[in-house]
Amino acid sequence: MDAPAQPMESGATTRARNGACWLVDALVAEGVDTLFGYPGGAIMPFYDALHGAPLRHVLVRHEQGAAFAANGYARASGRVGVCVATSGPGASNLVTGIADAMLDSVPMVVITGQVATGLMGTDAFQELDVFGMTMPMVKHGFIARRVDELPRLVGEAFRIARSGRPGPVLIDLPKDVQLACAAHLPAHAPSPVDAVPRPADASLHEALALISQARRPVVYGGGGIVLGDAVRDFRTFVDATQMPAVLTLKALGALPSEHPLNLGMLGMHGSRAANTAVQECDVLVVVGARFDDRATGKLAEFAPFARVVHMDLDAGEIGKLRHADAGVRGDLRRTLAALTLPCAAQLHARHGEARRQWRALCQQRARAHAARYDAPGDAVHAPSLLRRLSTLAPSAIVACDVGQHQMWVAQHWRFDDPRRHLTSGALGAMGFGLPAAIGAQMQDPRAQVICVSGDGSFLMNVQELATLRRYGLPVKIVLLDNRALGMVRQWQELFFDRRYSEIDLSDNPDFVAVARAFGIEARRVERAGDVGAALEVLLAARGPALLHVAIDTGANVWPLVPPNHNNAQMLDADDVASLPLATTGSEPTPTEDSHALPA
Amino acid sequence: MRYRLDLTLRHAEGALARVLGATERRGFRPLSVDGEAQPDGDRWHLCMTVEGERGEQVLEGQLAKLYDCLAVQVSPC
Repeated sequence: MDAPAQPMESGATTRARNGACWLVDALVAEGVDTLFGYPGGAIMPFYDALHGAPLRHVLVRHEQGAAFAANGYARASGRVGVCVATSGPGASNLVTGIADAMLDSVPMVVITGQVATGLMGTDAFQELDVFGMTMPMVKHGFIARRVDELPRLVGEAFRIARSGRPGPVLIDLPKDVQLACAAHLPAHAPSPVDAVPRPADASLHEALALISQARRPVVYGGGGIVLGDAVRDFRTFVDATQMPAVLTLKALGALPSEHPLNLGMLGMHGSRAANTAVQECDVLVVVGARFDDRATGKLAEFAPFARVVHMDLDAGEIGKLRHADAGVRGDLRRTLAALTLPCAAQLHARHGEARRQWRALCQQRARAHAARYDAPGDAVHAPSLLRRLSTLAPSAIVACDVGQHQMWVAQHWRFDDPRRHLTSGALGAMGFGLPAAIGAQMQDPRAQVICVSGDGSFLMNVQELATLRRYGLPVKIVLLDNRALGMVRQWQELFFDRRYSEIDLSDNPDFVAVARAFGIEARRVERAGDVGAALEVLLAARGPALLHVAIDTGANVWPLVPPNHNNAQMLDADDVASLPLATTGSEPTPTEDSHALPA
Repeated sequence: MRYRLDLTLRHAEGALARVLGATERRGFRPLSVDGEAQPDGDRWHLCMTVEGERGEQVLEGQLAKLYDCLAVQVSPC
């Protein structure tokens, strides 16, 4: 039987064990060590219970910062990130960070205060239906309407967040439930995560049969490799089969950047070698990827000659956007382990010469189209700076914001571990970088954490500089400032006849002064010749530090697949003069040779 | 294409809204909805007719992922 909610007095010298106290103990039992949050009226009993508890609470300066920080904590550690806010505006401010976690499959538990159950549905002060608001962007949500529900809901929340394809789970917690007597509740016992399904033998045989026929195979690796803890198995699979590989934004580092079979990122700002290989391959082996439109370009023309082997834990992704000729649903580690030796044996036995030539062609293209870092002139060349920084800090966790700098990081940073690249992939949420870096630093105080941001993104959560300062986190910020919303400006230049609309940020504040106002060391660099010394000073700083980098407003991200084009139709800076795409809303026709096979 | 959906749901807060919302967001328009709580009070049985351009596997795969969805069968009608 459920016990009726018995309000307990809060603030007493000896605090009674109420629902909030039970929840705090339960979080400890779940292994939570850090929470990111911001208090307010409806969550006050929980904050009262936190007082003196063995949990580290990080007080951010905006709830969105809490959600992104928990998100960054979870991405970097692989553990569940937890954030807390009050009802109403506190809860709604979390929403972007929750959505980001959902779209990028990040395990989070989100705790929101709610008005008391008797007031729910009356338009009470700071009442907001966050349970309803977040339905499309959580893996699941709960409202705890009775204190007796807490053991089941908390256990389920963590189990759901961790199991299978991870994601965020909301627990909306009315104030009277937090205050209700919980003395009768048992100590919390975490629920085990769901067993990961084994791939079916029949599906493995189908995959093997298809892969063994390949003359021009390509492996297309996605974020599921990281989520499935299958990086080592993926590398073994690629090494054994000697198939060229391309990676999504979320999978960068699943193969080291310098690996001879790594052709780089595919998609809109992918490498020419990666995109060309995918467009020409005859078998595409998809590992934990989901045919995102930024990766595929025009889907109907993506990998037009390929039969597809799709391996994924999430059955809902197989066949969702592209028919899978062989679909393997299940644990990626087991899938890759089961296929590695048989595929390698088959591939060595059949079409060996054809595949050797294919591999050589792919690698030759990768060399021919490798990025160059010898930009002329005295202006700071952002790709060169990022390349240099990644060499100076090879073990750093890099947290990006969203925009041109995000793509430059993806293109030019040398990755060898995908958990050291934190980026808002699917949602593309500006403002992600700084709080995500805070979360990453909190999960490992010894880690070197670098936030790469842009002037647009940085001001979206600039208040978190105060959090950085408060906790003395040694995060290093590289702020690439082009005094514009660069990616939007680039698209307006290329696809909207240079009608620049609301992208000018030439009235940016003095970022060095802003950082210093928060008590953070900062300096500015404007010339390419000063970059090396400036980066060394930045990295040598003992605490948080910011490097404000002035870059050319007109710098663009290349290469680029224009919208509604296939990935073979990439453009480089040299192609701009012949750009046929300047009319807004037109549906360009693919060039006739866009599907041409190599001779 | 029109599809018939037979769903067994937990009788939990938000379960119906979640299923209807997911169905519409994935590009399927509900044409009819019929359902009731089962006598034991723990389950809902829901029968829906929807139409949409995407394949039934897409819808079935997405609905099957919902925590409150205990069983789903999608068939052309």
